[in-house]
Amino acid sequence: MAETSTRGNDVFLPWIARIEDVRDETPDTKTFTLRFRDPEVMREFEYAPGQFVELSVFGLGEAPFCVASSPTRAGNFQTTVRRTGQLTDALHLLGCGDEVGIRGPFGNGFDVTAAAGKDLLFVAGGIGLPPLRSLIWNILDERSRFGRVTILYGARTPTDLVYKYELKEWERRDDIEFLLTVDRSEPGWEGNVGMVPILFEKTTLRPESTLAYVCGPPIMIKFVVQDLLMRGFRDETVISTLERMMQCGIGKCNHCAIGHRYVCRDGPVFNFRQIRELVE
Amino acid sequence: MAMAQQASAITKAGALEWLGRLMEQAEVIAPVAGFGGDTVFSPLRSPAQIRWDFENPLHPPKQTLLPQTDPIVSIQRDGDCYEVLPIYDESPRVLFNIRSCDVKGIAFLERMHAADPPDASYLRRAERTAAISLSCVAPCASCFCICTDSGPFLRESYDIQLTDLGEDLFVEVGSKKGEALLAGSQDLFRAATEPELERRRELEESARRRFGEETCHFASAMRRISTGRVAEALWAKMSDWCLECGGCNLICPTCYCFSVKDRGSDGRLVRCRMWDSCQYPAFTLEASGHNPREQRKDRMKRRFFHKVSAQYYMRDGAIGCVGCGRCVKVCMGTTDMPAVVAAIRKGSWRG
Repeated sequence: MAETSTRGNDVFLPWIARIEDVRDETPDTKTFTLRFRDPEVMREFEYAPGQFVELSVFGLGEAPFCVASSPTRAGNFQTTVRRTGQLTDALHLLGCGDEVGIRGPFGNGFDVTAAAGKDLLFVAGGIGLPPLRSLIWNILDERSRFGRVTILYGARTPTDLVYKYELKEWERRDDIEFLLTVDRSEPGWEGNVGMVPILFEKTTLRPESTLAYVCGPPIMIKFVVQDLLMRGFRDETVISTLERMMQCGIGKCNHCAIGHRYVCRDGPVFNFRQIRELVE
Repeated sequence: MAMAQQASAITKAGALEWLGRLMEQAEVIAPVAGFGGDTVFSPLRSPAQIRWDFENPLHPPKQTLLPQTDPIVSIQRDGDCYEVLPIYDESPRVLFNIRSCDVKGIAFLERMHAADPPDASYLRRAERTAAISLSCVAPCASCFCICTDSGPFLRESYDIQLTDLGEDLFVEVGSKKGEALLAGSQDLFRAATEPELERRRELEESARRRFGEETCHFASAMRRISTGRVAEALWAKMSDWCLECGGCNLICPTCYCFSVKDRGSDGRLVRCRMWDSCQYPAFTLEASGHNPREQRKDRMKRRFFHKVSAQYYMRDGAIGCVGCGRCVKVCMGTTDMPAVVAAIRKGSWRG
């Protein structure tokens, strides 16, 4: 029985999704591949990179997670989750075939059309890569529509890097530039050591033709954005995605409000000029 | 004049009869004597329980429409599978003898929940709830509804508005829902007379005069809050007096911020919408440990921005305050709406 026919348009009612695959990324982070139980719901599930879903672990409630997979790859979707509280602890205990609830997608997402023809710079820190990964794969799957692509990624240690299997692929590709760094080295690491901004010295920035996408912990975003602005990027060309404790996803519960803007509806993607205007 | 055409009157004895008939069709929630003599809104067990002369209860009737813990989704587990179904409460209810400010509070909540995307769980309950207000002929000392366009008498938003004339009640019908409440009880009502209409006008005028000549400070506070021209030091000073109890939010007729939590045990779970308070530090706490409003002054700023800023006024068409004065009564730290608004206007805080 199609679930679509039996429900109203209740804003709080999740769709049931099954876990298809679980992949360990780091000791505390896993990537879950999900597919809606109802094939019709799966077919109709359209999202933009940068949008998020409210994921239910039944019995514990729901929490917002960005979709980490690219909309260019239909059939299922992924989210990458760090274990950091009750709900994520419980989610990490689930395995293939287990069911969760999904509401969404919510938020504005990245404007892929506006990126066409532009040079693109991605700057990610730690667990900040998943939302950018959605956009990165979207762009790599339609590579010819975009200019130069540069990806700069840093994590605390080599162990904390997510999508290690894909990073290798990005390193091998000759149609993108990919640079990696870690804050602290570990035995066997031969790459760069230092915070993400050190990578700016190792690449050629072209502020006049580039859109920069920045995501990571708040302190990393702060320093990277400052650096980019000093290097000639304009506020409008520096784009980030904000994190807030979004509970409803529809601009009603007020947990994510900044002034009269709602990160869940007006965001989570904002350019830096918009971020400056987010005041109360 | 519309009012004169529609207005009718009923004796208080007749009103109790009417109340009895309403109780056969719906749950009637009205002011009654609670433990210790306080007046509280509670479902009536008999018409005689109802109070006609009372100070507005500390808890507004918003709990009828927006319960503190409100089941919204039923989650049933069957082996490895889950089934989810929306929970709708469509029981008929009548709020009887609520005050003008609370009617305006309900209108505020209705607007917010009907805004895109509409929230069916709230709206379906609200659709089946009617409000009969009792206009305020003797406003309480802490009230300032005259500053917020929400009393002491109403011009709109009510289903039925009653005015206590002594022996009789003056009755104005304001909506289709109100008309439906009179259907079947027309035998109890008679047309209002010209002197009764005149008496109602006098009562409204004298109620208005009781507020004195105080000028409302909201406009100047709104200008400053909306343009970020309230000194950080002033917020810090005021918030030093806030005890973070969240009482102001819980008793406010227009506060609706919520969290979503699952309750129940493994086989039968219920997802609930639960009141939350923007004054609690954990309101914005993220799983990572990052808290964008860690400081108390930022949380207080948030509360007043949401209630008084022009940005929200433009969105909602009203400020988030109905002048009921409950925060004045409940706040142990004196950071209630009139005190903060006055401090912002003056640019200083004395506690």
